[in-house]
Amino acid sequence: MKNTLLLLSLLLSFGLSQSIKAEDAGATLYQNKTCWACHGKDAKTPMTPAYPKIAGQNELYIFNQMMDIKTGKRTNGSSNAMAGVMGIVSEEEVKAIAKWLATQ
Amino acid sequence: MKFKSIALVLLSSLLTGSLLASGPATEKDKEWNAAGGEKDVAMTLTADRENGIEVYEVCSACHLLEGWGRKDGTFPMLAGQHREVLIKQLADIRALNRDNPTMYPFALKEAIGDEQAIADVTDYIAKLPMNPDNGKGEWNALAPEFEQGKKLYDDNCTQCHGDNGEGIADKFYPKIQGQHYKYMLRQFEWIRDGKRRNANPDMIKQIKGFSDKDMQMVINYVSRIKVPAEDLAPLGWQNPDYN
Repeated sequence: MKNTLLLLSLLLSFGLSQSIKAEDAGATLYQNKTCWACHGKDAKTPMTPAYPKIAGQNELYIFNQMMDIKTGKRTNGSSNAMAGVMGIVSEEEVKAIAKWLATQ
Repeated sequence: MKFKSIALVLLSSLLTGSLLASGPATEKDKEWNAAGGEKDVAMTLTADRENGIEVYEVCSACHLLEGWGRKDGTFPMLAGQHREVLIKQLADIRALNRDNPTMYPFALKEAIGDEQAIADVTDYIAKLPMNPDNGKGEWNALAPEFEQGKKLYDDNCTQCHGDNGEGIADKFYPKIQGQHYKYMLRQFEWIRDGKRRNANPDMIKQIKGFSDKDMQMVINYVSRIKVPAEDLAPLGWQNPDYN
């Protein structure tokens, strides 16, 4: 019993630390890939009203928008301001950023 | 009769319009570096270092706190660039003479301030030590492409950018030594192909005949020109002004 509990708590903390790591990765990428320059450090205070607040956005939706801008499928609005930067963000990294944004 | 005179006016305005558009090169030269505006004002102001540090924080989101840009060339190194060049480019982006949709909102008065802010931030950036590890092209000094690039450089570029890519500050010719390869490649291509609107017309003429390979070789060479040791920061240097 004791052992099972220990094992369970070990597993749980491992799982937790894994998910914290994933979240950290998204938060770090959000800064390192320069997203926050335009969308704000908290992703809620964009530097101009022409840019969206993206904190709390649906993960799948924001992932698709980022990928569409990266691949050149989306060119409307201010997306040309972001297109040039998306070369430094891989699809995996886009995923991590989308995941983090959704939790904000 | 009335129709005829309207048609004549239209025709003549069309003609003068097209004449102006393809006007003499001297007009274009003046446009490249027109006198007046924020550029001239900022140049005469005394810089405030503390405000320069504060303003630069906005820029650092992309150009990094050290002003070193990114090796992949997405953002250029600014550190150590001539202040005159920084002022001209910033004023050009602000005045929509140079297309840069990513940077444009950051260059605006609302984001960084007036001419004084331009004077402050450019003075601060110009004094930052340069990146000791810039992005380079693929050919090292042993490759024939390196030698060909050097020859292209010596034959075409030194008059304005100097023997070692140091540029000429008071003529607004940028320092290109130590700059990231991919950034220079992109700008060179845009200048050659007429996409960069504030390009110097003399440079457009000079590089008109450059093939893509010529362009890669000459930029490869420039990315490998040795920057004077006293202008470089030590590897891994971090800007202490933001501690």
